[in-house]
Amino acid sequence: MEKKMVLVPAGKYLPFFITKSNKPIAVDSFLMDETAVTNAEFLEFVIANKNWSRSNVNRLFADTNYLKYWASDYNIGIKNFQLINSPVVYVSWFAADAYCKWKRKRLPTVAEWELAGSALPKNIKIQSLTEYILSWYNKPNLPVLPNIKSTYCNEYGLFDMHGLVWEWTFNFNSYISSGDSRDTANDEKNLFCAAGSINVNDRKDYAAFLRFSYRGSLKGNYCIANLGFRCAKNFK
Amino acid sequence: MKTNWLIFLLMVCMAAIQTSCNNSGDTTVKKESTGIDTVITGTVKAELTDAPLMPKPLTYTTPQRVTVELEVIEKVMQIAEGVDYTFWTFGGKVPGKFIRVRQGDLVDFTLINMPDSKLPHNIDLHAVTGPGGGAAVTNVSPGQSATFQFRALNPGLYVYHCATGPVGLHIANGMYGLIYVEPQKNPLPAVDKEYYLMQGDYYTKGKFGEKGLQEFDMDKAIREEPDYVLFNGSVNANAGPNALPAKVGETVRLFVGNGGPNMVSSFHVIGEIFDKVHVEGGDLINTNVQTTIVPAGGSAIVEMTMDYPGMFHIVDHSIFRTFNKGCLAQIKVEGEKNRSIFGEIKK
Repeated sequence: MEKKMVLVPAGKYLPFFITKSNKPIAVDSFLMDETAVTNAEFLEFVIANKNWSRSNVNRLFADTNYLKYWASDYNIGIKNFQLINSPVVYVSWFAADAYCKWKRKRLPTVAEWELAGSALPKNIKIQSLTEYILSWYNKPNLPVLPNIKSTYCNEYGLFDMHGLVWEWTFNFNSYISSGDSRDTANDEKNLFCAAGSINVNDRKDYAAFLRFSYRGSLKGNYCIANLGFRCAKNFK
Repeated sequence: MKTNWLIFLLMVCMAAIQTSCNNSGDTTVKKESTGIDTVITGTVKAELTDAPLMPKPLTYTTPQRVTVELEVIEKVMQIAEGVDYTFWTFGGKVPGKFIRVRQGDLVDFTLINMPDSKLPHNIDLHAVTGPGGGAAVTNVSPGQSATFQFRALNPGLYVYHCATGPVGLHIANGMYGLIYVEPQKNPLPAVDKEYYLMQGDYYTKGKFGEKGLQEFDMDKAIREEPDYVLFNGSVNANAGPNALPAKVGETVRLFVGNGGPNMVSSFHVIGEIFDKVHVEGGDLINTNVQTTIVPAGGSAIVEMTMDYPGMFHIVDHSIFRTFNKGCLAQIKVEGEKNRSIFGEIKK
């Protein structure tokens, strides 16, 4: 069964770091998986692409944590039965990229992901999306990662854009940070100015700041507990 | 803007050259460049302690290559009785582990971010001479680690903290601690008791004392209106049954830090006078001090001889913080009353 994709209409993405050269980016309409890729779905990929099994994978493309919670190469494991429909995590960017290509799709860009993720929930009541996001960041991980569609559905029909896992993006590290969030003199100066002048009720920037810090710390071969992905596709 | 970039690139190149030198094993610094002895004579693993305990004074007298491993752990802990908070910690407690090294030491510092962490973290040690105090080379994803090396050039008591964006949020959640660099010349004399105290301010959705898991409140943090101002990460962490013990006649040295993120501490002990204060954790010594300022991101070392028994209250003399926001620790002094110092005159 093919995964349902939903249309994200064209829009403008305002980059988090606003500088003179960093203007709003026009994003064409595109299709996006309605949920993150699940363990069950990723298992199909690994079975069809043996070079992406845990023991065959090239270490350059996935670190030693790759799929480490699975029972074996082609078996998620009985004790993980609750995870069949949970997002696959501990997957590298390269693995996510390969999966999307196998599905004749691609990873969404940061601009696409952020545009898609900015849509408000339509099936739950929240104070604000930012409150919701910060609240997720402020809670420790649950012992068992919940299933897909366990958080909320947004106005585009996308599930769990926030509150379930972090997600890989195609150009996750295109914002080059030295690792010290205060060191990017040009970007950061603007950011601090902006942060000082915004209405304190608007905390959207802080949630975005956390996401950008997160992406900035990543390398393509990292496989991490909370990090999954979903695919996107051009809309013709 | 172009110039900035050139300078930045130059710094990166210099850092790269520095690293390659270190990798080739050339770890000595020319003596004339620093005025301190930097010839490494051995290796040591640093003793790390949780507040209020201090690592033992160092016994070595020549520079060492020191290994420090610090784990970043995000966990729910009590901020007050019946009140939980999700702290982000260096080593599992707030404040983070105390680190004690000696001027001239070469420190191999490894920061490990636990796999369960939600967020990346790094570390800026104010004791470090170099880009970001280490932050530039330690932005670590969950489950990853990073190692860097620094020379402890300047002696003194320094704050370290997480500098991952947004910095204020990481500090507000408890990501700070202290590192003491013992001087090569004139190290601190031995005292009877050494303790580690660190102040911090906390911002929760609920008011002070409101039960349950309390989430961080960004509005209050930006307005600089904390619900809690605390020593050592929770209400009564070192008060009541957890008071710091001492005996009459003993000299107590407190290594005091302030993580902030916002409040500046008016550090005071009720019923005592600081015989000595190492002002701002540096070389300057002031004597006979009632209250000393501990800036956010700063420190002080205070010493007092406990001449009289009883419970001595350690407070932030911005006093509503003590009575309404939890900023209290205590020293419990046991021993004989000395009538020549203090006593009530009965009518």
